Amino acid sequence: MVLDAFSRAVVAADASTSVVTDIAALKSFVAEGNKRLDAVNAIASNASCMVSDAVAGMICENQGLIQAGGNCYPNRRMAACLRDAEIVLRYVTYALLAGDASVLDDRCLNGLKETYAALGVPTTSTVRAVQIMKAQAAAHIQDTPSEARAGAKLRKMGTPVVQDRCASLVAEAGSYFDRVISALS
Amino acid sequence: MKSVVTTVIAAADAAGRFPSSSDLESVQGSIQRAAARLEAAEKLASNLDNVAKEAYDACIKKYSYLNNAGEANSSDTFKSKCARDIKHYLRLIQYSLVVGGTGPLDEWGIAGQREVYRALGLPTAPYVEALGFARNRGCAPRDMSAQALVEYNSLLDYAINSLS
Repeated sequence: MVLDAFSRAVVAADASTSVVTDIAALKSFVAEGNKRLDAVNAIASNASCMVSDAVAGMICENQGLIQAGGNCYPNRRMAACLRDAEIVLRYVTYALLAGDASVLDDRCLNGLKETYAALGVPTTSTVRAVQIMKAQAAAHIQDTPSEARAGAKLRKMGTPVVQDRCASLVAEAGSYFDRVISALS
Repeated sequence: MKSVVTTVIAAADAAGRFPSSSDLESVQGSIQRAAARLEAAEKLASNLDNVAKEAYDACIKKYSYLNNAGEANSSDTFKSKCARDIKHYLRLIQYSLVVGGTGPLDEWGIAGQREVYRALGLPTAPYVEALGFARNRGCAPRDMSAQALVEYNSLLDYAINSLS
């Protein structure tokens, strides 16, 4: 079942046939709503760049992947890898929008480890790509991508930011990436 | 559980795309309306027992035959079950206020409602009377702000319509 922060509160309350009492938490979710939408937008707008950089970074650190017999060789398998990284990032974005991990768990992570084991996909490499995307997501949400890492591809959203903007959202997005990592390992 | 956010996500997922700017606009719209909903949910939660009690009393007063032997409100057990049912509806309305859609009422209240009441031989008119009483009892700004009352009343209307 796909839940958001609101329906999560409702399902939890229903389990004890009581009304939803923690309205304050939901009110703060609403008050911070625009930041959340900005964060989702920051990831969605940079998604293809994040995905290709994460996969390229993963391969950079492990050249064996693109040699004959590696899991990103030939192009067909590299394409599958890029596609999967995008899928993971997409579900993390959905979870961030909903404020709840259920959509990520249900539709992406459920059975993923078993599927990868059956297909012979190395989870350590997958985890590395997810870690890179986690770092990228943090940079994009805070709008602080660094020149050192992005180089010529440096691109900022240009939204007005204060220094600690979205610290809680960065932590939340990070927790969804961590969820992917722990589901795979 | 259906809400604006989950609907948007389901649609984006079906198309295999990231949330688009129009998706974010829909969520933003729901967030803007959320303050009134949450106020109504908060006020209703703080007084749910009394609201339910008054609504229950009103419907038993109108349909006093329910107290006759063999009728639905004739024993203490039946009475507490009747009062509980009214409270269930109000609780589901509170959930729907929290979620911002009729999902909880639809899934946990209305689905199968007609069949259950037919099987148990319960009349739906008293439920309508009870919820109708609650519908007319709310008052702004005494109980909650005008906008919050609108949200609350529209859900009561929705529940009433499902029963009639």
